[in-house]
Amino acid sequence: MTSVQLAHEALDTTQVFAIDKVGLSIDGNAILSDVGLDFPAGEVVALVGHNGSGKSSLLKILARQLTPTTGSVAYAGRDLKDYDGRDFARSVAYLPQDLSTGSEMTIRELVGCGRYPWHGALGRFSAIDRKKVEEAIKATHIGRFADRVVGTLSGGERQRAWIAMLIAQDARCLLLDEPTAALDIAHQIEVLSLVRRLAHEGGRSVIIVLHDINMAARFCDRIHALKGGRVVASGTPADILVPDTLRAIYGIDMDVIATSSLSHPLAYAR
Amino acid sequence: MTASRRDTFGPALLALFLLCAGGAASWFLVAPSLSEPVAPGYDIERMVLYYSTLPRLATALLAGAALALSGALFQQVLRNPLADPTTLGVSAGANLAIVVTSLFLPGLLGAGRDVVALIGSAAAAVIVVSLGARRGFSPYSLVLSGLVLSLWCGGLAAILTYLNQKYLASLFIWGAGSLAQQSWVIPLSLVWKLAVVAIICGLVIRPLSLIDLGESSSSALGVRLVRLRVVVIACAVSLAAFVTSAVGVIGFIGLVAPTIARLAGARRPAQLIFWSPLIGAGLLFFADSVLQLVAGGFGEFLPTGAVTAIFGSPLLLALLPRLKIRHRIQAAPVWKRARRWDAKVPIAVAAVALVFLLLISIFVGRGVDGSWVLVFGDYSRDILAIRTPKIFAVLASGAMLAVAGSILQRLTGNEMASPEVMGISAGATFGVAVALFAIAPGFSGQFAFAMIGAIIVVSIILLGARRSGFAPERVLLAGIALSAMVDAVVGVLSSTGDPRAVLLMRWMSGSTYLVDGTSAIAEVAFATILIAAALAARHWLDILPLGPAPSAAVGIPLAKSRLALFGLAGLLTAAATLTVGPLSFVGLMGPHLAREAGLTRAMPQMIGAALIGGGLMVAADFVGRTIVSPYQIPAGLVSTLIGAPFLMLMMRRKA
Repeated sequence: MTSVQLAHEALDTTQVFAIDKVGLSIDGNAILSDVGLDFPAGEVVALVGHNGSGKSSLLKILARQLTPTTGSVAYAGRDLKDYDGRDFARSVAYLPQDLSTGSEMTIRELVGCGRYPWHGALGRFSAIDRKKVEEAIKATHIGRFADRVVGTLSGGERQRAWIAMLIAQDARCLLLDEPTAALDIAHQIEVLSLVRRLAHEGGRSVIIVLHDINMAARFCDRIHALKGGRVVASGTPADILVPDTLRAIYGIDMDVIATSSLSHPLAYAR
Repeated sequence: MTASRRDTFGPALLALFLLCAGGAASWFLVAPSLSEPVAPGYDIERMVLYYSTLPRLATALLAGAALALSGALFQQVLRNPLADPTTLGVSAGANLAIVVTSLFLPGLLGAGRDVVALIGSAAAAVIVVSLGARRGFSPYSLVLSGLVLSLWCGGLAAILTYLNQKYLASLFIWGAGSLAQQSWVIPLSLVWKLAVVAIICGLVIRPLSLIDLGESSSSALGVRLVRLRVVVIACAVSLAAFVTSAVGVIGFIGLVAPTIARLAGARRPAQLIFWSPLIGAGLLFFADSVLQLVAGGFGEFLPTGAVTAIFGSPLLLALLPRLKIRHRIQAAPVWKRARRWDAKVPIAVAAVALVFLLLISIFVGRGVDGSWVLVFGDYSRDILAIRTPKIFAVLASGAMLAVAGSILQRLTGNEMASPEVMGISAGATFGVAVALFAIAPGFSGQFAFAMIGAIIVVSIILLGARRSGFAPERVLLAGIALSAMVDAVVGVLSSTGDPRAVLLMRWMSGSTYLVDGTSAIAEVAFATILIAAALAARHWLDILPLGPAPSAAVGIPLAKSRLALFGLAGLLTAAATLTVGPLSFVGLMGPHLAREAGLTRAMPQMIGAALIGGGLMVAADFVGRTIVSPYQIPAGLVSTLIGAPFLMLMMRRKA
């Protein structure tokens, strides 16, 4: 229990994850090299980059799905290696990219899975657990189909159901791997607004892998950009959305245009 | 909550129905002896009732529950709807361990039969699961390696049986799963073993349910996957081992019971794991009491395991279209090696190697005293007249199977397809079995029956594929079901003690003993014509693996081409199976090896596969003839024994 409390207390300080000189190589191929980044608490941070830039791998390292070859990662001031599986899961929730699994469950059962780190293998599914599940369902507006089977949902609904599971997990930090990959523009906005609301109103920290630089600029407080496994840029959306930086990230000529209806400029390829 | 109540209702009703039906059937069994007045003193009727009939029914209930639980656990932990002790080779491993021990270290068996079975099945599980883990537990490769291992163990057990017939007659009946009992010892020992495992299951049911979320999500929730997998697989393996050591191999309950539970509405893992054992118990209980009623006194010797497989496999076939394949097949990582050489090089190498093999095989043998001799001089003409036809017959068969395998792999877009795996060989075998027992015809008659059998299986596959579009899991499952059915039929026939069963067994093991000049010429002629036809269809075979839509878009007559090619594969298989039996695995190995050698287009792949397949069979024949001379081991069995481990090694490397 003490480690959980420690983790939560530490969260009140300035950062969730601190990455120091992290490198990852698989079968001799360097996926990440010398990555050093900070993730401030309470912010939505985007990881962007071209295909194969190592952004998903970095997220997996944060989620303890992968172990870095070199360097160290700390969450709330403690090295990731020092956490126990369930302890860590109470603080950090991870949404993988492939959500084709679990399609035989109902939404409520799926969301209930998020309570596992709290009740464990033998504990009782308590009233608190039930309450947290209902709250998560309410927060993501999926109450209407909570008793339907996951396999029958549309892409956006399914995405929200999984995010509800992460919320029920009651973690202070959410790691999301391309939660909008297969969604149309309306559903992308819907899911990302939800994510932003969860961070800013619920006091959670979110780290999210995104493809679309404009979506990242619109919904995130900070953007870390990777290229070929190295950090090429890091800053607020205003810092990142300038032609030279965009070119460094994506390797093609890009430009930005200001619009009156948005607070940030729009990037496009020239 | 209404949804979950409805989910429970179906399986509960079904389990209740099966148990009641079993109860009713067994009432008819025990009623006659109960209605007799108790005779004072020595009452045989009562003793049979108390110490044979009742323990047997109890054993049926317990073994059914244990196997179904084992199957449900395997299916859940591996996220694979096809897993069960039979398809993963666990039962076969236990079986082989017991056969080997009873032959070479009979003393050990008295000390710990369970331990021996456990070691065998644990070894099988470790091999199969570690192979599966390397490919991300893809349902395919897991079941495929399980099946291959199963056949390997079965083949080895068959050779041992073949060489030591008089010692193993009873072992054979046991191996086919006989529930006959003489006391309460077995059911009582099964009770506590089952109870222990059930308690462990109860403890891990929560994390086990989370496995449905996928590997990354469940580990992100704090489930210790490795430990959980080890515990659950250990439970499932021990259940299978205990049952196998007590009553032999009872196929299919572990696969059918969870499948039925799922069809009846069980949806959540906890429901599946709770209801499957009850349904399994009901199934075996019902099957065994009906069997005893129908077979009468003969039922003592009729192995229930074989009978459940005979009924279970068609049931599974019928259920296939309704089975929701809930787990997406993970695409195996594409692993293309850049071609470093021209297609001609490997073909030339294979051709030279084949000629060399042929020369060795024809002219080298073991003498009367066991020494290696070259054939020349006085008797050479006589020896060659006997030996050459066999060699050319196996050569032609190997080539035909390999070409059939290439065709099937390209047609289904599934690199694990082959005549053996898809059950086409089993169909041919079934045809020959019917022929042998019904009319005992000559070579041409057998060929006709084998062909009919193969064509029937091919049409079943085609019909099933019309709806599912060759969903690989269905095709595979159908193949498993058919093969198991044939095995079961042969098991039942063999335990009747009919002399023709020995003939059938010899033939199934791929013995070339009866091949003579005319049948060899016929085989070679078939091979030439059919392989030429396959080569003529090379353009179709190049394009069809792209899938139905692109193939139709470039103008291939889809239905017609599929029908023709499937038919061709069926003919090739039927002709080859006549000589080398259904278990040779050359149809899987040949195309694989050809592809490994860099032959990717249809034409070179088929030529390469034919050369490699033929060469493998010739080598197998040579080894079988010389290794324990003067005894001969059938070429088909040798090729299974060499080919299966080889295939598994290859799958391991490819991961």
